[in-house]
Amino acid sequence: MKDTPEMFWTGLSPDEARKALVNKDKSMRDKTMSLKEAVDTFIHDGDNVGIGGFVDIRQPVATTHEMVRHGFKDLTLSFQSGGMAIDYLGAAMMLNPDHFSIKRLELAYWAHEAFGLAPMFRYLAERSLIELEDWSNANMSARFKAGAMGLPFIPTRGPIAGDVAKSNRTKIIDCPFTNRPIALLPACHPDVAIIHVNAADKYGNCIVRGSDCTCAEISMASAHTIVTCEQLLSHETITSLPKDIAIPFLGVDAVIEVPYGAYPGACRRSYYYSKEHIADLHRRTSLMCKTENKDELQAYFDEYIFGVDDFSGFLEKIGVAELLKAKKLEAANCERLV
Amino acid sequence: MTVSKDYTAQEIIIVAGAKVLEDKKVVFVGTGLPMVASLLAKMTHAPSLIPVFEAGAVGPDLAVGLPVSVGDSKTFTSASFVKGLNSAFEMTQRGFADYGFIGGAEVDMYGNLNSTMIGDFPDGYQKPKIRLPGSGGASDMAASCEKTILIVPHDKRKFSAKLQYLTSPGHLDGSKDARWKAGMQGSGPYRLISTKGIFDFEEESHRMRLLQTFPGETKESIQAETGFELLFADNVTAFAPPTEEEVRLIREEIDPTGIFVKRA
Repeated sequence: MKDTPEMFWTGLSPDEARKALVNKDKSMRDKTMSLKEAVDTFIHDGDNVGIGGFVDIRQPVATTHEMVRHGFKDLTLSFQSGGMAIDYLGAAMMLNPDHFSIKRLELAYWAHEAFGLAPMFRYLAERSLIELEDWSNANMSARFKAGAMGLPFIPTRGPIAGDVAKSNRTKIIDCPFTNRPIALLPACHPDVAIIHVNAADKYGNCIVRGSDCTCAEISMASAHTIVTCEQLLSHETITSLPKDIAIPFLGVDAVIEVPYGAYPGACRRSYYYSKEHIADLHRRTSLMCKTENKDELQAYFDEYIFGVDDFSGFLEKIGVAELLKAKKLEAANCERLV
Repeated sequence: MTVSKDYTAQEIIIVAGAKVLEDKKVVFVGTGLPMVASLLAKMTHAPSLIPVFEAGAVGPDLAVGLPVSVGDSKTFTSASFVKGLNSAFEMTQRGFADYGFIGGAEVDMYGNLNSTMIGDFPDGYQKPKIRLPGSGGASDMAASCEKTILIVPHDKRKFSAKLQYLTSPGHLDGSKDARWKAGMQGSGPYRLISTKGIFDFEEESHRMRLLQTFPGETKESIQAETGFELLFADNVTAFAPPTEEEVRLIREEIDPTGIFVKRA
């Protein structure tokens, strides 16, 4: 990889990314559709998919369920720190790589902080079933930012020394102004971004509460963006404070209202983590890692993903009591209601 | 201050970590024990400590409880400023983070850390023996926080003569100005806290040097569990065990449900 004379682009090249926007319908039009239609329209085999959120915060879980139902081949997944969204895609590949497969990961971290490791990552990496390209959180965030800025690369001070920069396409040069070494990172332009936000209007103007993560940068760097939102609001309400818009309609292609769309992860003001559900998926996956017996993991997917038509079917199976519990936990986090 | 007779290995790490932090400074806080240590510092000698989290939150009081993630909703409530990851790392790169807490699965004598893989790098990079979660923000903090505090549980395999992968740069090969020559800004590893004692890095060689032993440990017992030759400060002292009040704060006020601090 490092010895390739020409820099290669794992998503769109900067020129391709530019052309994708030139040719795009940028009109302010109603972009609401079903999640099934959005996934079918905007995601293709072999795509580089930029994934929003951070660990288990506001990850586009509903969209990953729909992707698993649909089935895709040879995806590249690009993200800084991933949790449940990546878990679902990884586990789907463990169960049936002919139906769903990941070719490559460009990442800084795949695990769950206080909730432990992602056994899917160990399974896929230790068997060499996916290509790896390690970066840092600042690296991946800066790569999306470079894409969003329309620049082919971005200089950073990230892990310039050590093995991270040797695991990826970082180029270290002497800064032309200070003469000191500086790391240059190639922009990341995914074919499609999948993002979950707190609220959006039908045109795709998005409001984010809590951490912005890197969602705006990923959306603006990508050729297409699928947005799921907790609440679909009127254009007038969403734009009452124009500076509150985190992602403008120009950077969005599909808008789908999916309450609890990041569950069992968390979404500021709506619900906190459901750590028991996360632990249950990990227990079933660990079992397959240890014994190669996929029955329990398959049973989870058969019940919660393949056994339902859409994410509301998943939520029905979770049940009102669990959803209210997650909502109540989050209410206690937001005493000031901002 | 009554000395506690009932504290765990994690609790002494937390107390030691808290004591390294100075009041009115900015600390870039990672998940887990660093969060607990920073809260303990705020509740004791450093009430004006300013925590920063990599998902973007600056200076929350954390009155709604201990976050389980550095992007947790609890870091957002009462924060002075919140954007996203780029903003947090840009501030750090600029020089706004005085301290950063980082950890890893392996550390070497120069305070370099591995949190990426166990196996053969670079030849075995695509087929690791054990795949770890990856850098996350640790390597960025290692590069750009002014001083880093390393937390690593002490055993011979983790305190390794040669890392299997260098994720978070410390003092690199220990040579003079190695970090500056590589293009980094922060001064690098400042303290290391293990389950056996507290260490710094000697000014000339940048090698790990024992400063204080935890109760029950000696220079010899610590060297025996270290995979490289340690340096020893001229006057290695005994670290005072946690007080009953410190243990109470950790168990009752900071982490009452045992999210990070296990009772056993």
